[in-house]
Amino acid sequence: MKKSVFYILFSILCLNAYSQTVITGKVTLQQGELLPGANVYLQGTYDGTSSNENGQFILKTKKTGPFDLHVEFMGYEPFSQKIELKGDTIRLNIQLKEAFNQLNAVTITAGTFEASDKKQAVTITPLDMVTTAGARGDVFGALQSLPGTTTNGESGRLFVKGGDSEESQTYIDGSLVYVPYNSSAPNQSTRGRFNPFMFKGTIFSTGGYSAEYGQALSSVLLLNTNDMPAEDQLDLSFLSIGVEAAGTKLWKDGAVTGSLTYSNLAPYMNLTTQNYHWIHAPESATGALSLRQKTGKTGMFKFYSSFNKNTFTINQENLEPGESSFDYKLANDNYFMNASWNGHLSEKWAMNSAASFTNNKDDIRYDQTTVGKKIVGAHVKNVFNYLFTEKFSLKFGGELFTKTFSQNVTMPAEIHDNSFTNHIIAGFTEAQLYASSKFVTRIGARAEYSDYLKNFKLSPRLSTAYKITDKSQFSLAYGWFYQNPIDDYLLYTNHLNPECADHYTFSYQSSIDNRTLRIELYYKDYKDLVKTNGDDFYLPTSYSNHGSGYAKGLDLFWRDNKTIKNGDYWISYSYLDTKRDYQNFPNEAVPTFASKHNLSVVYKHWFSGLRSLASVNFKYSSPRVYNDPNSQVFNGERMLPYRTLDLSWSFLYRKNIIIYGAVTNLPGFKNEFGRRYATSTDAGGNYPSVAIEPSSNRFYVLACFITLTRKGDANQLDKIE
Amino acid sequence: MKKIILSIAVVLVSLVSMAQKPEFLQTMSETLSLFSTCKNVADYQALGNKFQMIANVEKSEWLPLYYHAYCYILMSFMEPTDATKKDSYLDIAEKSIVKLIELAPNESEVYALQSFYYVGRLVVDPMERGQKFSALSGQAVGKSLALDPANPRAKMIKLQGDIGAAPYMGLDPKSFCPQAKELLASWDNFKPKSALYPSWGKEQVEGIVKGCQ
Repeated sequence: MKKSVFYILFSILCLNAYSQTVITGKVTLQQGELLPGANVYLQGTYDGTSSNENGQFILKTKKTGPFDLHVEFMGYEPFSQKIELKGDTIRLNIQLKEAFNQLNAVTITAGTFEASDKKQAVTITPLDMVTTAGARGDVFGALQSLPGTTTNGESGRLFVKGGDSEESQTYIDGSLVYVPYNSSAPNQSTRGRFNPFMFKGTIFSTGGYSAEYGQALSSVLLLNTNDMPAEDQLDLSFLSIGVEAAGTKLWKDGAVTGSLTYSNLAPYMNLTTQNYHWIHAPESATGALSLRQKTGKTGMFKFYSSFNKNTFTINQENLEPGESSFDYKLANDNYFMNASWNGHLSEKWAMNSAASFTNNKDDIRYDQTTVGKKIVGAHVKNVFNYLFTEKFSLKFGGELFTKTFSQNVTMPAEIHDNSFTNHIIAGFTEAQLYASSKFVTRIGARAEYSDYLKNFKLSPRLSTAYKITDKSQFSLAYGWFYQNPIDDYLLYTNHLNPECADHYTFSYQSSIDNRTLRIELYYKDYKDLVKTNGDDFYLPTSYSNHGSGYAKGLDLFWRDNKTIKNGDYWISYSYLDTKRDYQNFPNEAVPTFASKHNLSVVYKHWFSGLRSLASVNFKYSSPRVYNDPNSQVFNGERMLPYRTLDLSWSFLYRKNIIIYGAVTNLPGFKNEFGRRYATSTDAGGNYPSVAIEPSSNRFYVLACFITLTRKGDANQLDKIE
Repeated sequence: MKKIILSIAVVLVSLVSMAQKPEFLQTMSETLSLFSTCKNVADYQALGNKFQMIANVEKSEWLPLYYHAYCYILMSFMEPTDATKKDSYLDIAEKSIVKLIELAPNESEVYALQSFYYVGRLVVDPMERGQKFSALSGQAVGKSLALDPANPRAKMIKLQGDIGAAPYMGLDPKSFCPQAKELLASWDNFKPKSALYPSWGKEQVEGIVKGCQ
């Protein structure tokens, strides 16, 4: 017995010592290309090698018996084969299959501009939002340098692909912002309520968007707020038009930021020439609080709440014959709250919950008239995402919108006191399927019921993308989009249906080495637009869904941050052909907000010697139309083309101090946005009128941003995560 | 008899498991000696593969993972232009760093490497990523130095970061020369805990000091 044990042990040792197995072969890819650098090894041992530049490998081992041979290379599915090591030579030719990875796979780009630092070859980044000249530090302003948008200087809101500004919706962390813009005087440009520094990423979809989003005929803007701040800090901002202080305090897995902002344009307006007479220059105060808390391994809870008060009084010329000018006074109170949680419930389940609440009050007084407007809105939403496999996922969820709009108009002779409440309940589902890393399809549907209109709508959505080469792809999107008529109509009637637009979008995108080209063709078919028949506005019978229209166009985008060292430029051009018959139009006509040709050229340069980032933005929009009641032709007049050349300069004075200066319309191009007409004729039978001009021909901003931290070396650009 | 077989078996098993350690030590030191032969991305990849293999076997050891991540970070620095490739190397390094932090949460070297990794992310696109990753890199260096205030690699990374940022901040890069010289002079005073522990970084400091003259 002893002998036999000894013998067995001895023979094992001998085998170990003397037999050597050689495994040799080559590693190739599916297309037969040789793969150097692949890791070839016996599992559970130190015996391994890498394939050489010809894809060949030689692995020598003294081990015997059954083993698993593994071959691995990043981006490819690992290969494994059982082999028996017996001291001979084993020849193996191994082919690796490309692993499916959503990060490298094709993405749907039709109609979508995404801004984040996560991806290479993004079309626009968060930094752009704050450093692009002409953006005026406004999210919406920055988006107006992208194709598909038309700048309307008398509005400042987003007008997308032949759509009215009411057709765009804004979401923060998944929930709706009912009132994304500040209140402004008639025919004066407004800006967004939110500081672009708040956001780490932006998705701007100009058509064909996911079934998750409804109640928007033209576009959705999805803003995602920053995650955890890096450290405790105090930010102080001094601008020529106001001041802001923001403090951030961190704790384990959580943080709170509080900020106070005050702005007053009076000192600035007294120094510069204004086209209007302001009795009380715009003055506003905002307090905001935001909370961040990580929950578990993947979860993140975010809360944001703000209160804003804004007032101004502007003197307006009274065009009615024989009347004198009057003061237009506005006071706005806006409370906004937004909360969200998102994270993984398990490896396959992800959930995103969001809620928002808005209470917005406008109090307007002019010429013996007072108008009180109030919007109280809430939105709750829950979305689940289930990942069946890496290639197939299903998203579904539901949401509830409620909104009460009330308006009181008191004039010397009449009083109109109206309000309505609407609830919309909606459910949506969407499947995303990758046939391969080259081809993806997203198919979904959305069902919506509006209780005020007693109307149910089902909207299908379909989009797909195909990668032609490594660097270029096609994408298509199609869908039906519904949106309830604007509040001003719903105040007087609920005998209306939602308006409708069908979108067809085709896009081509190519990104090579930090140069991106995008070409997009689209067609939008508008149906059931609301028309008014000229009867009194308060009669429900004045409104019908008999309107219609179309918009078609071509968008071009070229961005290059490669060719010029330290330089970066992009060119956007949009061609738009649109007509519609809606509102008070007597026939199909080009709407006032549309320009046929829109061009925006942005150039940025980093001067390292000067520690400065400079940006120039030139914009041109071909003349828009407007209506002259003295003329027989509806919308037959043409405005001046819109031109502006904007400059901005950011200078890093110290590690934690940025000095910023900007001027819009440096050359002082004359811009006019049509004319405003009186409602009654003068003695000669004509409607008197006055040109609508921008508030001033040029606008200057000077600012200083200071960040105080314990270490003292952060600056406010840190906020752009 | 059975007892004898059993005891032999026990002895054998314990011999084998003890043998693991010398084999690990030997394989590691052999593999580490290959660093001096690496000249290009492919060489570092082959070396990284070896460390990966060792890490697969030695699931409780952090050093193989450390060097695996280190190789891939170096690869991203060596890749001349392709930003997507640089990021894909760093994606791999990132996975190992996440595991490293779980395995050795109190090891100063781990955070020094994490900081180095953030520098790798930063240099892919300094304009867009500079602020974010310089902050993250700074935080990681802070952690590393809190665990071991003498860690020369952490000091070196911090120094490089300060010098890199100097022109943007209106400082003279040469103002860091005394610090660099001091670090170089004291470099050899730092004794790694074992022969397998990280010891790289002196050359980089020598490079900085050379630039001062």
